[in-house]
Amino acid sequence: MPQSNSILGDLTVLDLTQGVPGPYCTKLLAALGARVVKVEPLKGDVARTMGPFFHDEPHPEKSGLFLYLNTSKESITLNLETATGQGLLKRLAAKADLLVESYPPGAMEGWGLGYRRLAPLNPRLIYAAITNFGQSGPYKDYKSPEIVAEALGALLYTIGLPEREPLKIGGNAALMTGGIAAFSAVMVALHQRDDTGEGQFIDCSLMEATVASQIHSSIHAQFGDHDPGRRASQLSKTRDGWVNVGIQQATWRPFCEMIGRPDLIADPRFADQVARRDNAAAFNEVIEGWLATQSKEEVYHKLQAIRSIAGYVATVPDLLQSEQYRQRSFFRPVDHPFTGAVLYPGPPFQVGDQPWRQERAPLLGEHNEAVYCGELGLPRAELALLRTQGAI
Amino acid sequence: MPRQALEGIRILDLTQVAVGPYSTLMLGLMGAQVIKVESNRRPDTSRGAVKPRANQVALYPGQDPGERPWNRSAHLVHRNRYKLGITLDATSPEGKALFMRLAAQCDALMENYRASVIDRWGLSYAVLSEVNPQLVYLKLSSQGNTGPERDYGSLGSTMECTGGLASITGYRDGVPLMTNETYPDPVAGVLAVGALLAGLRYRRRTGRGVFIDFSQREVTTCLLGDAVLDYTMNGRIQAPTGNRHPTYAPHGVYPCQGEDCWIAIAVRNDQEWQGLQRALGGPAWASDPMFADASGRWHHQEALDAHLSAWSRGQEHYQAMHLLQAHGVPAGAALKGREVAQDPHLEARDWWDRTVYPEVGRAYSYISTPWMLSKSPRGPGVPAPGLGEHNGFVYSELLGVSEEELQRLEERGVIATEPLWEPAM
Repeated sequence: MPQSNSILGDLTVLDLTQGVPGPYCTKLLAALGARVVKVEPLKGDVARTMGPFFHDEPHPEKSGLFLYLNTSKESITLNLETATGQGLLKRLAAKADLLVESYPPGAMEGWGLGYRRLAPLNPRLIYAAITNFGQSGPYKDYKSPEIVAEALGALLYTIGLPEREPLKIGGNAALMTGGIAAFSAVMVALHQRDDTGEGQFIDCSLMEATVASQIHSSIHAQFGDHDPGRRASQLSKTRDGWVNVGIQQATWRPFCEMIGRPDLIADPRFADQVARRDNAAAFNEVIEGWLATQSKEEVYHKLQAIRSIAGYVATVPDLLQSEQYRQRSFFRPVDHPFTGAVLYPGPPFQVGDQPWRQERAPLLGEHNEAVYCGELGLPRAELALLRTQGAI
Repeated sequence: MPRQALEGIRILDLTQVAVGPYSTLMLGLMGAQVIKVESNRRPDTSRGAVKPRANQVALYPGQDPGERPWNRSAHLVHRNRYKLGITLDATSPEGKALFMRLAAQCDALMENYRASVIDRWGLSYAVLSEVNPQLVYLKLSSQGNTGPERDYGSLGSTMECTGGLASITGYRDGVPLMTNETYPDPVAGVLAVGALLAGLRYRRRTGRGVFIDFSQREVTTCLLGDAVLDYTMNGRIQAPTGNRHPTYAPHGVYPCQGEDCWIAIAVRNDQEWQGLQRALGGPAWASDPMFADASGRWHHQEALDAHLSAWSRGQEHYQAMHLLQAHGVPAGAALKGREVAQDPHLEARDWWDRTVYPEVGRAYSYISTPWMLSKSPRGPGVPAPGLGEHNGFVYSELLGVSEEELQRLEERGVIATEPLWEPAM
């Protein structure tokens, strides 16, 4: 249960989102103490059908993606296409602080549930719409799964090797970033509501979140008058994986000394950052002998010790074993009736000693009775009727 | 102009390079008063070299560094709009005293120095909260404020590695790759906006300031939660899968007409597959029974990719996107830097910030917030500050420092504005 004295402990969020971006936004709100009620269609959030599944068994309660993105929320089912469903949603929205939805532009209006219909019922309501391309503009009805978002966000073109096709970032990076942008937008609107008492409408576009996450391409292109393209890999191979050695000007000398190659200090091929990048292949050849005797994590620590800004390519098991993460208790177990206790990533930030709420994701419709009977005061017989009529 | 959401919030900004300045840019666009603090010996490295060499001029307006290159470099003007700029040598006793007076008048502070540097300067939260118990202090650190790696340095590019993102990014040969876009930087910057506002709400509810421990590495790992669960639930270590999807096919990036032009296409269900066939005019190859269902398409995606590439090579990437989307097929042109800066959709939404600034002299497309609030407009265009440009306003008007004192501080180098830093890397 949320603690009412936590940062968002006084707030109720109606979460009509599905998939990745919206649920990540509301997960962050729930972690800060908001009560988040997921309003799922009868078949459930589409993320329940997406892998990876627990023991690879597709099942609405076993999707790792869903379980991760929906921690600390409640779930009710509601068919928004029925008049009964629309009526119930209005009653819920009248009492909520925030409504977050991810339907295509126009869908909520079509059901009589758009911001203009809800605001008169609840002027304090903050209504955030998270869509692929925003509420207006020529692409507003276009579809945009992860790979399309990265393409139109001008990220895809610059990623990968110059001699090959552009490459998508692994996982759901752009969709997750859309959720992050929506979270920050909601926090801005909430700040304004705390000042003025008024809610407002937030238009969040996944494309704009992705374009805002390229910070070189559009600027280099305009100022440098050429389109930055794909570049050779900057990773070097060690005994057990890959590192980015990240040698800075000030650390070149100590690096050469550390690897027992003082002769390289004055080598013009590696004289500065630009030269080392231009001669990346030669540079890798020179250092690979040393790297081959080391583990990636050793290299990382040794280079950081001489103040080189180095990184090692950590896999998930590497992260779970990282001493840094262990000491910060970053991964935390979440117990769930269908998976048992499993480690999840924890807080991306920590506000003072405020607890980061991380309870298991809800089962589909788990809180129907609590919300419809407990909160809206429907008799239990009515709940059964609504079920039979296909409203919940 | 109507009231902006963050009007009345004053933020002391000690950040530099990318993540921090990006975050305070967003806060400034929403109306916060951001005071960027630099010293004339240790400015934001985005200001570049005092005298750029011939091979360093690419990122100035018209490739011309001008008389004051440090006020014109592309990354500086892009990431530092909507801020006031002051100079202050916070390592000198006088500078530190001034800094404390300033901190006493701010609502929030953001910094991204190594932990040991801030401790050495005596500007840690423990010290500043004595001066201003209501201060919200956000440390945008690389690894968090605790743990054995708390003092390690990082760049967005190394975060991709240490946060795990690079381990699942790459072609199907399994070799990891970094993004070339230091991807975690802007992502963490956007999240830090919400984190800072969470701190301000904590203050509103408790009357006390707070320290926010923000780890960019942990932010990055949070992006791959499902890959983490695949390991903790199933013991599977996900490897790079190129542009392929675990269940959808076709799913990839296909060549188009023109030099290095590409389109991303993803088909997620039978409906989208039928749309694809219609868009392509019902080609004979597409009715091959092996492509009839999702499983068949996934198992024969090599063949699908070959057919699709043969088609896409004859297409212009924007037109192919419109054609496919008109038939309900997810598709996106892989926009290049100049294309996205002029994209018609973003244009129609008036998304780019195109303010012309005196130091720059012409309009560029600068990013704005990835959200639009109905009651809090963005802007209006405020240029990135020149080095120490707002010393007068901040020290005289906010702190009440006298004219003579200001002059003395400048002479003693405490608030000097003459650029005195080493040539950039």
